[in-house]
Amino acid sequence: MSIFINETTKVLVQGITGKEGRYWTEHMIGCGTNVVAGVTPGKEGQTVEGLDVYHSVRRAVAQEKVDASMLFVPPRFTKDAVFEALDGGIKKIVTIADGIPLHDAVQIRKAALLEGAQVIGGNTSGVISPGKAMMGFFPYWIERVYKPGRIGVMTRSGSLTNEVTAMVVKAGFGVSSLIGIGGDPVPGTRFAEMLPQYEQDSETDAVVIIGELGGSMEEECARMIRDGLFTKPLVAFLGGRTAPEGKRMGHAGAIVSGGKGSVKDKIKAIESVGGKVAQRPRFVGDHLKELLGK
Amino acid sequence: MKLFEYQAKETFRKNGIPTPESVLITSENELGAASEITGYPLVLKSQLLMGGRGKAGLIRFVQDRAQAERECGELFASHFHVTKILVEQAVDIKNEIYLSITVDPVKAKYMIIACAEGGVEIETLAAETPEKIIREYVDPDNGLHPYQVRNVAFQLGLTGDVLKKFSLVLSNLYKAFLANDAELIEINPLFITGKDDVIAGDGKLSIDDNSGFRQKTYEITRDYFDTDAEYESALEGIPYLQFDGDISLMCAGAGLTTTVYDLINYEGGTVANYLEFGGPNYKKAVRAMELCLKNDSKVILVVTFGTIARADVMAEGIVDAIKRLKPDRPIVTCIRGTNEEEANRILKDAGLVPLYDTEEAVRKAVSIAAGGEA
Repeated sequence: MSIFINETTKVLVQGITGKEGRYWTEHMIGCGTNVVAGVTPGKEGQTVEGLDVYHSVRRAVAQEKVDASMLFVPPRFTKDAVFEALDGGIKKIVTIADGIPLHDAVQIRKAALLEGAQVIGGNTSGVISPGKAMMGFFPYWIERVYKPGRIGVMTRSGSLTNEVTAMVVKAGFGVSSLIGIGGDPVPGTRFAEMLPQYEQDSETDAVVIIGELGGSMEEECARMIRDGLFTKPLVAFLGGRTAPEGKRMGHAGAIVSGGKGSVKDKIKAIESVGGKVAQRPRFVGDHLKELLGK
Repeated sequence: MKLFEYQAKETFRKNGIPTPESVLITSENELGAASEITGYPLVLKSQLLMGGRGKAGLIRFVQDRAQAERECGELFASHFHVTKILVEQAVDIKNEIYLSITVDPVKAKYMIIACAEGGVEIETLAAETPEKIIREYVDPDNGLHPYQVRNVAFQLGLTGDVLKKFSLVLSNLYKAFLANDAELIEINPLFITGKDDVIAGDGKLSIDDNSGFRQKTYEITRDYFDTDAEYESALEGIPYLQFDGDISLMCAGAGLTTTVYDLINYEGGTVANYLEFGGPNYKKAVRAMELCLKNDSKVILVVTFGTIARADVMAEGIVDAIKRLKPDRPIVTCIRGTNEEEANRILKDAGLVPLYDTEEAVRKAVSIAAGGEA
């Protein structure tokens, strides 16, 4: 099954003729993704990896059935590209752009909520269901990280995801679907909003969230568990336990102020509903074994 | 980017928000001319980004010329590196209000925060008297409606002339928030004067760095930063924080660097600096190491697990940096990701002992910092 994408999801690539778009489209296909077409304004008639390129999303969806759109679009044009995808009726959108203006991010999330769409990102590596498909730029060829399995992973980070997921794999597990929520202050989709899909997914036994100081996304997950909307085991790894207050350490979304968003509060929230918080990356595997009775 | 008070107030005035008469000075010699404009009593406000300037004695209320000269001299000579002072007319204050606008990331709306008891930091208010905080959410598509402005004003207990003037201030603050791509715009305190005028007593404006391409750019100068190293790294676009421990972090990825920082603390080590050269900076190893070497650290710890940034390119960068800079302290490396086998070969050829496991690398660095063998 997988969540968000699997090998049958029909993916459109916006910005497909750019250097990154071209390179990662090849790799998305290499990973098993069903890429169906691309969009670059002014480049209709060209092909990339044998796929037709269209001037606009509207022209692309008139010709091809599309389930999801992958954006390789610079940060300053991301809002426009997301709105164009929404206008084309696309309900799953991934943007990897690092540097989306804050006010644009607010409007993107607002529009997605109104349309009932899910925008993943920005400032993320994207979404991957190892062995099946990916939207984004994961080094899926690193087997000790991107090994198929039954653990769902959600993350606000890039390199740290490799670090923690490698520990999950080392403990004998693999990944069902990994969702990179991203490190921005206003991500299009929040951790808690993905939990119902993991709850439904027959291929996911437990979920690991890789969070950090700042914001309230980890607390929102705890609320989902408390309200009975997520019942599978949950293990969190949270960076920034010893970070000094008030300094901007880590992602822009990760500043602690006024005693809110501290890792201490997040640990309390997660543990109070039966979740586990790993103090070190390598403890994530131990907690999973404990919760899954392995 | 966080702006100084005087810059925030310039933006306020440009957007029709009244501020007290004021003049920015950079030396004591300019005090006389400034006081001609503001008159006495006046307030000397050191232009620093740190919070709690009042408590730190960086804001002085003065009655006359002699006192002003004395205190102005003290401020410029203080160890806080004061280079600019805002000389401001003292206002007859009847009441103080807190007012700000920021972003609510869950609702995807703008959030107005107000409180009838201004002058105190909002974090303190939120912790001690959360029931006194007024919130009004603004839909980014629809904008700020007049009824929302009235909601805030009535909850603050304002009436008559003050209500009208406050409403104009809030509407203009919202315009300034949008026009500047602000993360936060804050007036604390907002004065209600004896003559029922509504005037911004202080100003905070933090502009979203991602909006630089469509915003007025402010030149990055030394006085925005606590240390020289933080200033230099900002010019380079490399995230950097100064601490005073033994281990220089030279890592890639914000989340991973923060985790390494935690692991060092767990192992009883101390951090000299946080430096992150991942993402677009992953080829800046030479510059990054140069910044680390400016510290009195005992060891440099390199930890990466790249997504796009290739491990072999990172390793080449480190080796190149060592050749050029000839560091006087040991370097512990743990470089992983795409092409990590090649990366390890490059490091070994250069005489380094590459490690694979983050915790092992952290323990090694902590041990070296404690006098252990490299």
